[in-house]
Amino acid sequence: MKQPETKPSDMQHLSVAIQRYRPEQDDTPVWQSYQVPYDDSTSVLDALHWIKEHQDSSLTYRWSCRMAICGSCGVMVDGTPKLGCKTFLRDYPQGLKVAALANFPIEKDLVVDMSRFLQHLTTIKPYLIGEPSLVQAGSASAGSDQPSSAALQPQLQSPEQVKRYQQFANCINCGLCYSACPQFGLNPEFLGPAAIALAHRYNLDSRDQGKAERQPALNSKDGVWSCTFVGFCSTVCPKGVDPAAAINQGKIVSTMDGVIQWFSPKQLDATPQEPTS
Amino acid sequence: MSRKPYQPSMPADWWLKHPAYRFYMLREATVLPLLFFIGSLLYGLYCLSQGEASWLVWLSWLQQPWVMALNGLALVASLFHAFTFFRLFPQVMPLRVGSRTLPAGWMIAGQWFGVLLVFLALWWLLGAYHVIN
Ligand code: SF4
Ligand code: FES
Repeated sequence: MKQPETKPSDMQHLSVAIQRYRPEQDDTPVWQSYQVPYDDSTSVLDALHWIKEHQDSSLTYRWSCRMAICGSCGVMVDGTPKLGCKTFLRDYPQGLKVAALANFPIEKDLVVDMSRFLQHLTTIKPYLIGEPSLVQAGSASAGSDQPSSAALQPQLQSPEQVKRYQQFANCINCGLCYSACPQFGLNPEFLGPAAIALAHRYNLDSRDQGKAERQPALNSKDGVWSCTFVGFCSTVCPKGVDPAAAINQGKIVSTMDGVIQWFSPKQLDATPQEPTS
Repeated sequence: MSRKPYQPSMPADWWLKHPAYRFYMLREATVLPLLFFIGSLLYGLYCLSQGEASWLVWLSWLQQPWVMALNGLALVASLFHAFTFFRLFPQVMPLRVGSRTLPAGWMIAGQWFGVLLVFLALWWLLGAYHVIN
């Protein structure tokens, strides 16, 4: 990483308190303060790098892209979930406190165990579930040199159809919304903002036929109905996904789903066929 | 190396810990003065069924300063709740006109316009009532 031209010793310093948790010696997290040189371009992630390089090589945190793409550098800054690489020291002239993302078990220092979130992501089947006949045609021709013509049909989408789900497809799985969500904090079984936003994203996709497979999890008590619209998830999302909107639109979908099932008692095990709303 | 993850727990006063949570709790707490308002209304209905004397008791009960203060608070609370609700509404039910989504600001303005209409209608009704008497 390239440092700015000025020597660190000439730069202004800021006090950065970091919540440390070293499993081999700590039973609970402890705070440690560092004086970090900074200028207008110093991000929280840069500050962590500086501390690791100059003061304490044991400091542990995740990062990769340092440009708000990979979603791995999420931390609490003064109690608010933020991407370390998208948060700048210049905005905290009084100093700042950096802690591990809330609502997740802490593995070490700023590294949390996100497996619960990842489980929830897989629960909602975050991939295109194709039209059954096309899928069959595709798998029948798999391995043969001549795929059937049905399997080769391109699935075209108009710009309008893309626009319907695009916002919800921008998620980078950083988990900030889970740290912002008190309902997830109180009940980790809650599918949570990003997973439900992603379910909504696929349900809105004109190429997808998987809504009936996703709906049971979304309708369940740990699905959309666990949300009380605190709305903080959408405030902290660095990508403008607005997961709270997705969840609450999902409540309408879930209600429609319930009404339709109510009126079709004979088709309980048939796939509910309703237009995506 | 073996793992020893630290399990954080939610403190009972989690909702005091961040301005965003305090705002949320304030929104939810608007139900409390509204409960009082509904209680007042039910009390009035009951008095109405008990005859004129009891109705007059209710009317004078309503005019006590503390009752007026609580009902005034209920009005402010419901307007505040409407403010938060109207802001959330475009997120829950984005209106699509053709391929475009109606700007949230328009929807919020439209909802306040509805509130204004209701106020004007009430104003007009009360005015008519006073003319009759
Ligand atoms: S919805 Fe936003 S805050 Fe949540 S994981 Fe995706 S990008 Fe991060
Ligand atoms: S390092 Fe990739 S999002 Fe911050």
